[in-house]
Amino acid sequence: MAFVILKDLAYQYPSSTGLVLENISLQIQEGEFVSIIGPNGAGKSTLCYALAGFVPHFFKGEISGEVEVDGRKSSESTLDEWALNVGLAFQNPFNQISGAKYTVFEEIAFGLENIGVPRDEMKKRVEDAMSLTGISDLADRSPYSLSGGQQQRVALTSILVMRPRLLVLDEPTSQMDPVGTREVFGVVRKMAEEGMTVVMVEHKVEWIANFADRVIALKDGQILIEGKPNEVLTSDLLIENGFGISRYTSAAREARKRGLWKKEKLPVTLDEAVEGFKS
Amino acid sequence: MNAFSMYAARESGLHSLHPLTKILMTLLLVAAGLALPGNWTGYFIVVFIIFPLAFWGRVFLNLLSTTWKVSLPFAISVILIQSFFWGEGTPIFEIGVLSPKWEGAMFAAVSMGKIILVMSGFLLFSMTTRPDTLMITLKQAGVPSSIAYIIVTTLQIVPSFQRKALTILDAQRSRGLETEGNLYVRARAFIPIILPLVLGSLMEVEERAIAIESRGFNSGKKETSLIEIPDTPLQKVIRRVILFGIFAFIVFGVLWRL
Ligand SMILES: Nc1ncnc2c1ncn2[C@@H]1O[C@H](COP(=O)(O)OP(=O)(O)OP(=O)(O)O)[C@@H](O)[C@H]1O
Ligand SMILES: [Mg+2]
Repeated sequence: MAFVILKDLAYQYPSSTGLVLENISLQIQEGEFVSIIGPNGAGKSTLCYALAGFVPHFFKGEISGEVEVDGRKSSESTLDEWALNVGLAFQNPFNQISGAKYTVFEEIAFGLENIGVPRDEMKKRVEDAMSLTGISDLADRSPYSLSGGQQQRVALTSILVMRPRLLVLDEPTSQMDPVGTREVFGVVRKMAEEGMTVVMVEHKVEWIANFADRVIALKDGQILIEGKPNEVLTSDLLIENGFGISRYTSAAREARKRGLWKKEKLPVTLDEAVEGFKS
Repeated sequence: MNAFSMYAARESGLHSLHPLTKILMTLLLVAAGLALPGNWTGYFIVVFIIFPLAFWGRVFLNLLSTTWKVSLPFAISVILIQSFFWGEGTPIFEIGVLSPKWEGAMFAAVSMGKIILVMSGFLLFSMTTRPDTLMITLKQAGVPSSIAYIIVTTLQIVPSFQRKALTILDAQRSRGLETEGNLYVRARAFIPIILPLVLGSLMEVEERAIAIESRGFNSGKKETSLIEIPDTPLQKVIRRVILFGIFAFIVFGVLWRL
């Protein structure tokens, strides 16, 4: 059975006039790395909140359908229980700093303190998580003194250290440079290989194509198209609906019109493009 | 001001005291200032006890300037109000109906002594105590963690509000908002600054709640803590003595006024 199951999920915030999520049905296997793309206001963050239980436990409003993780329904469990299994890092890293800690190291340990991990184990887990995400050198800095990209890494590490079984990331690289983005995708891929299930909202399609197992395109609260990254990210449907596509895809589409792109499949990444133009 | 509350990172004997010892010390000084007779007791304690303590904690100038900045507007308004609205008394000067009284000004100065005592006491505490160690201390003392969290993060609201107000101020200025000039211009600039500040804070509270919830804040498990706060047997004894002192001052203060 799938690890995450969404059945006909529909949701509307108390103050919104229409449905923000509609008709969402979805299955995700354990250890799968799924990426969500979509324009502003598509409902990506709301879907993250639904996976992490904040919809409907924190944001009230009207919900119908089911969210199920590891055989348990979110409607039938409490937010506190849910949070132990599902970790969420959201868009704005600044507001994810607890505000109760003095250094980055302590900030990352905050979650482990809350769930009662013994001190020695805690130190080890924090050290491991920090070296995994490449922020060991920030250990003694104040979380407030960091750049946006560094804060995003701290936010990611703070969730990773909790070892959730489902990791939900809402635009975790929005303030990062290409090097940071690459590293985050690498870490997430690694976690997925180790069995963590990952749902990640992202705009950077080339990285998605390189690392994710599946892409879901969301528009106006509904799933527009889903499937293998290469299929989804090069589909005409995406372009017709105004999604951002990779420059390599655009170039190859133009080339195809002029008979310069022979392959059937369009590229998303540089490597695919180079390969295609060579042949 | 530091991004992390008012805490001033220094190496000092005062810094290394257990937070509970420092809280109790502060309360003792405040209790003494309020209970003991004499008009100028508050000032006396500030100058002869709090200032030397601040010296010991290597935050003297910091404390002096912050106390000054915070209490000056307060002092001016209290003195104005008290002197102008004092009933019978010796006039300082008379212009038409305006006639501020010496007695009112004196009364204001005496009250300010108590206010300055409380303020400088708590400022000294905040400047020499890391908020996170305070949080651990509060929890160990049996305060529920949500309340401890609220207390500690509230202590940081002032600096973080200041920082954000400045950001918004800059942003609005670059859009052409006039913020300098006469009182009217300044008053008019108030709303475009306050509104985003308040709305932003509401959003922030919501997101922060989600963030800490995601990190098991309400997991209901028995919490542990990464750092250990050093304590000494001597301090434990001292705390008992201080506690007794606070109690004695309260009793004395009540009896003396009967
Ligand atoms: N707390 C809220 N209350 C009411 N409506 C909300 C709330 N949060 C989001 N919405 C609305 O729900 C819709 C979807 O918002 P959501 O934040 O999920 O979009 P998104 O895809 O994450 O967009 P973005 O790319 O800008 O992050 C939007 O129309 C938004 O205005
Ligand atoms: Mg969003």
